[in-house]
Amino acid sequence: MSNAAKNPSIIRRSFRRTIFFIIAILAVGSTFEPYNQAQLAVVLIYFIGVLSVTILTGISGQISLGQGALMAVGGYTTALLMTNYSISLWIAVPASIIGAGIAGALLGIAAARLSGPYLAGTTLVIALAIPTIANRFMSVFKGDEGLPVDVGYPPSWFTNLFGEPTYEEWQLYVVLPFAAIALFFASNLLLSRTGRMWKSIRDHETAAALTGVNYSRQKIYVFIIASIFAGLAGALYGLRGLVGPSVYPVALSLTLLTAAVLGGIRSIFGAFIGTVIVVFLPDWIDLVLDNFELSEQVSNFMPALISSLLLILTVVINPAGVAGGHHHKHK
Amino acid sequence: MDTFLAALFSGTSRGAIYALVALGLVIVWRGAGVVNFAQMGQAMFSTYIASTLIQNGNSYWVGFFVALFAGAALGALLDVLVMRPLSNKKKTELLSSESMRAAIPVIASLGILGVLQALAGIIWAAEERGFPAPAAQEGFTVAGSVMPFTSFDLFVISIVLITLTLTTIFFKRTGVGLAMRATALNQEVARLSGIRTNFTRTLSWAISGAASSLAGLLITPTSNLSPNTLDLVLIIGFTAAVVGGLDSPAGAVLGGFILGLVISFVTFYLSPEDVFISILAVLLIVLIVKPRGILGGKDSRRV
Repeated sequence: MSNAAKNPSIIRRSFRRTIFFIIAILAVGSTFEPYNQAQLAVVLIYFIGVLSVTILTGISGQISLGQGALMAVGGYTTALLMTNYSISLWIAVPASIIGAGIAGALLGIAAARLSGPYLAGTTLVIALAIPTIANRFMSVFKGDEGLPVDVGYPPSWFTNLFGEPTYEEWQLYVVLPFAAIALFFASNLLLSRTGRMWKSIRDHETAAALTGVNYSRQKIYVFIIASIFAGLAGALYGLRGLVGPSVYPVALSLTLLTAAVLGGIRSIFGAFIGTVIVVFLPDWIDLVLDNFELSEQVSNFMPALISSLLLILTVVINPAGVAGGHHHKHK
Repeated sequence: MDTFLAALFSGTSRGAIYALVALGLVIVWRGAGVVNFAQMGQAMFSTYIASTLIQNGNSYWVGFFVALFAGAALGALLDVLVMRPLSNKKKTELLSSESMRAAIPVIASLGILGVLQALAGIIWAAEERGFPAPAAQEGFTVAGSVMPFTSFDLFVISIVLITLTLTTIFFKRTGVGLAMRATALNQEVARLSGIRTNFTRTLSWAISGAASSLAGLLITPTSNLSPNTLDLVLIIGFTAAVVGGLDSPAGAVLGGFILGLVISFVTFYLSPEDVFISILAVLLIVLIVKPRGILGGKDSRRV
């Protein structure tokens, strides 16, 4: 009874968040010049990937350093469908979910037995190993060259209705619906019974088991769902021009984790804030550094130095991240 | 047969270095409960210091020992500046669950790695440079044929074995070593029995820093030195520690040699492209059979 009364309100809340998100992105995006519109598209893509870290690590307590590998799986699924069968991206991108979901199920079956650093180690090696498969099966994956794919051009009904967008603007419009759907699902998940079940696994496995949660099975589900988010992000990331091993390096997995922690690893809003920081921070630092006379050797490394320092400071001063601090509510 | 010997020797020599890296990781994991991803960043930094000293006309051994000392000092400094304040946050709600306690220090160490690499780039520029070896890198000649084993390999293996023996003696036979084992076992109880746990933590960071600097000094003659070259060594060393069991120094050494041999045999008999997939296969097989590594503790659950 109480469940039936609650569920519509969860969906309504998620829906409201999503609508607000779409309007905010469109409003901000339309004021940007092309370079920043492309950057905003990257924010949305990373945001989907960071949501997978939020679900996996922040909500369910499973640490993964290999989400980049699942992004690669999603990217290759989409790219192969688009280049070999010339399927439209509106079908090929959602299809990436299937590839990534299967990979996530396999990973989850192995990972359900592991904990803490053992899981971190395994996922890190996965991040390193999966992209090298592209070189092993040259004929299918084309090795280091990769598979070139892009978002193409808007259909005629779109240009008739809204006028001719720039390529960067079109990139943003392609990514936005997927990001909005991802946000809607993540928000629903976090507010729902399933989300609470996963939080109970994070907080105490034995206590969760005593309340009737089959945590081994739930962990596999967690990995599948998180992989789906990662795969979707990877498919869209590849559409920026190329799907290849160099597009999905180990550093990508670590960037996702960094963004999740900077913003606040337990909240969707935090995931978005963290992503904005990670994507735009190098640009902001460049802006500030332009005012100083620095040699090239120094200015090349300043953005990395400052963002790493910020990361350390965030973790030491406030490990709950920018959006953290009100978590006692969920206790 | 020649290929087999070459693979065996190069695997043993590489494996010795991975064992050293894994040992450094295990020491910090046991002593401070942190998987230190910055470890090879620290090693890179002290190897650059040694390289600069040697380029300025000092002997190899001056650079060698200064680098070890710098590695230890840097490790201790990082613990005092970053990890100790972080561990004081353990009472906050976010860090109350085990998974977060494992995740947050990992992220802090990634930050440290970023800072060290950027600083190295600013100070020494990013281009690769070579690093000298103290012993010849040509193979021994036995009965007219060149063996795939160099005196530098011999140097690497003997130095690593000496280090491993010294660390074992340190942990088993000295009072400080005993205090560190007690801290690793149970920090609260160790503190109650009068052990200065902050000191033993910092000490484990220092020892691990020196060990990984040694690994850096030994591996850079065969690769090159740049801010990022040691990243891969860290990942392989970490895998070695996980395969052997993160709680066990002996396991780390075992894991190091296993991975060294696997990598070497795959490179010689299959192709270098298969190396990472084989590492993954080894890791998965070991962890599916023993989720806490070959020599790791039992997977016990406390309610």
